[in-house]
Amino acid sequence: MPRYAMVIDLQRCVGCGACSIACRNENNVPEGIYWSNKITETVGTFPNVRYHYIPTLCNHCEYAPCVRGCPTKAMHKLDNGITMHNPNKCIGCKYCEFNCPYGVIYFNWETPHKFWRDKKAEIQGGTASPQEVVKDVGAKSVPYYNPEREATYAGIRPKGVVEKCTFCDHRVKKGMLPRCVEACPADARVFGDISDPKSDVSVLLGKFRSFRLREQIGTNPHVFYIRDFNPAAYQPTKGGV
Amino acid sequence: MSEKKGLFGVWLAVLGIGIVVGLITTVKLFSQGHSLFNANDVLLWTLPLGAYIFLALASSGLTLLSAVPLVFGVKKYEPFAKRLVFLAIATLCGAFVSIGLELGSIFHMIYIMLSPNISSPIWWMGAIYSVELVVLIVKFFLMHKGDWHSGFSKFLALASFILALAAPLMIGSVFGITESRVTYFGPVMSIYCLLMAFLSGTALFIVYSLVVNRVTGNGVPVELYDEFALIFTYAAGVVTVFTLLKYAIESATVVPEFLVYRQFEHAFGTVGVFHSEVLLGLFLPLVLLLIPSVRKTVAGKILTSALVLAGTLLMHMEILLAGQSHPVGPKAEQFAPFISYFPSIWEILVFVFALTIMLLIYTLGERYLKLTEAPQ
Repeated sequence: MPRYAMVIDLQRCVGCGACSIACRNENNVPEGIYWSNKITETVGTFPNVRYHYIPTLCNHCEYAPCVRGCPTKAMHKLDNGITMHNPNKCIGCKYCEFNCPYGVIYFNWETPHKFWRDKKAEIQGGTASPQEVVKDVGAKSVPYYNPEREATYAGIRPKGVVEKCTFCDHRVKKGMLPRCVEACPADARVFGDISDPKSDVSVLLGKFRSFRLREQIGTNPHVFYIRDFNPAAYQPTKGGV
Repeated sequence: MSEKKGLFGVWLAVLGIGIVVGLITTVKLFSQGHSLFNANDVLLWTLPLGAYIFLALASSGLTLLSAVPLVFGVKKYEPFAKRLVFLAIATLCGAFVSIGLELGSIFHMIYIMLSPNISSPIWWMGAIYSVELVVLIVKFFLMHKGDWHSGFSKFLALASFILALAAPLMIGSVFGITESRVTYFGPVMSIYCLLMAFLSGTALFIVYSLVVNRVTGNGVPVELYDEFALIFTYAAGVVTVFTLLKYAIESATVVPEFLVYRQFEHAFGTVGVFHSEVLLGLFLPLVLLLIPSVRKTVAGKILTSALVLAGTLLMHMEILLAGQSHPVGPKAEQFAPFISYFPSIWEILVFVFALTIMLLIYTLGERYLKLTEAPQ
């Protein structure tokens, strides 16, 4: 059985956000919820400043606090290491979200994609209402609805349950890459079986020193970061005194 | 007599309004969802959860107190035992109302039984409190039938005592074992919850009993509450020592999460390093209780108990909110560095509904179930 992991090359990542947009389309992610997200920070004092950009997603931890804490096993581990969620079993206690050290689980506070249920047109007699648009394209709930998501998970998760990244398990099952990996224009994301020493992820982790988010808390995350982008240069000195 | 009847009618009408408002709140919540709460993906748990913790812990405290006559056999406390068990049941029902409305998909609760996760403190908390409720109801039924000392009755008393010890520990571990929230103080949180349970349970019992005595003019003579007031003083003392220890750790540590935590105003304000709710809801009542002339008066007991009850509710809220006040990881991209909070009207109504259910059960029990009777 493979053990899936992702390597994100921060030297290649340009921070374009294509991963997040692709993820939203693939997984019918509602407004306000981010399966694929980022951590940005600006450090230093002007004019000597730097901007850091770290793409984030569910870390599919080996010792996942969300899985340990879920009272109904709605959040569970698959044999391939993916941390999966079953909305039918989810009681909406939000403990997984409370417990997640990485802030990657979200709760559906209200009916998802509410905007597209609106019957009112922006310009009366001029534009179609959001609901008419959905009806005209023959979609379910949202005009860009992806029915393939339904293969392993609710196409749209209902109000009152949590949701998060599943490493696109429905695509992985068919031998495809997660959508964020496929959509990355800079090939900054590499996905594969970390238990196979010949896989691309294993090769990269052997070649480059990696880090993971909040490693010290012992969750053993399976999203690794390598390298960093830094175009800066400085004059060599003898200590700079 | 007719004046008392009139007052009782008014009281029932107030409770009736509470029930109607609560039912409207329930329908509204189940149809519109939890966007009605002033919660978000950073501040996940708010007043309904705080109310649950407060009521559930108070119920555990009442059960622990009932163990004094029922498990440890202190006979002079037997006239209090039936009322203590009944109050524990009613308070726990209030807690269940609050947690029931806090949950988004209550009909999925069936999976707690069908698909239990025994590594989850939430599962254990739910299971223990559910079993405790059943045990307390059966125990009360036996006491009501006059069976106080049979083997089965004693077993139920012991079982409820053990469950009431375990449940607060489990509530504490729900918070204490979260890797992402260091400010919840790890395993120490369990001990804190147990101590707070005993303190709030004792306060609730004293204030309730003395108010009922005053209103109905019957029941156990008020002098007998002096020893409860002493137990109450000891409990307040222990919680005070623990709270001071907590302050010492909080103000000395340089763990980053605590540094963030210290940057912001606390929910109910501070005087120096001390939170207002701790000063007014714990330290002040303790000082008052240490003065015998205050502790021995009915007014002194009611005042200190009421202060502690309000204080424990606010202390639970402060801890609950402070641990969730800043976004974790990438959520800092969407949310402000610090989330302020004031409950929405719907959250307040959930609390009102939980209290109404609790008070309605108290009222009916007091009226029809002879809560101060003891074995011959």
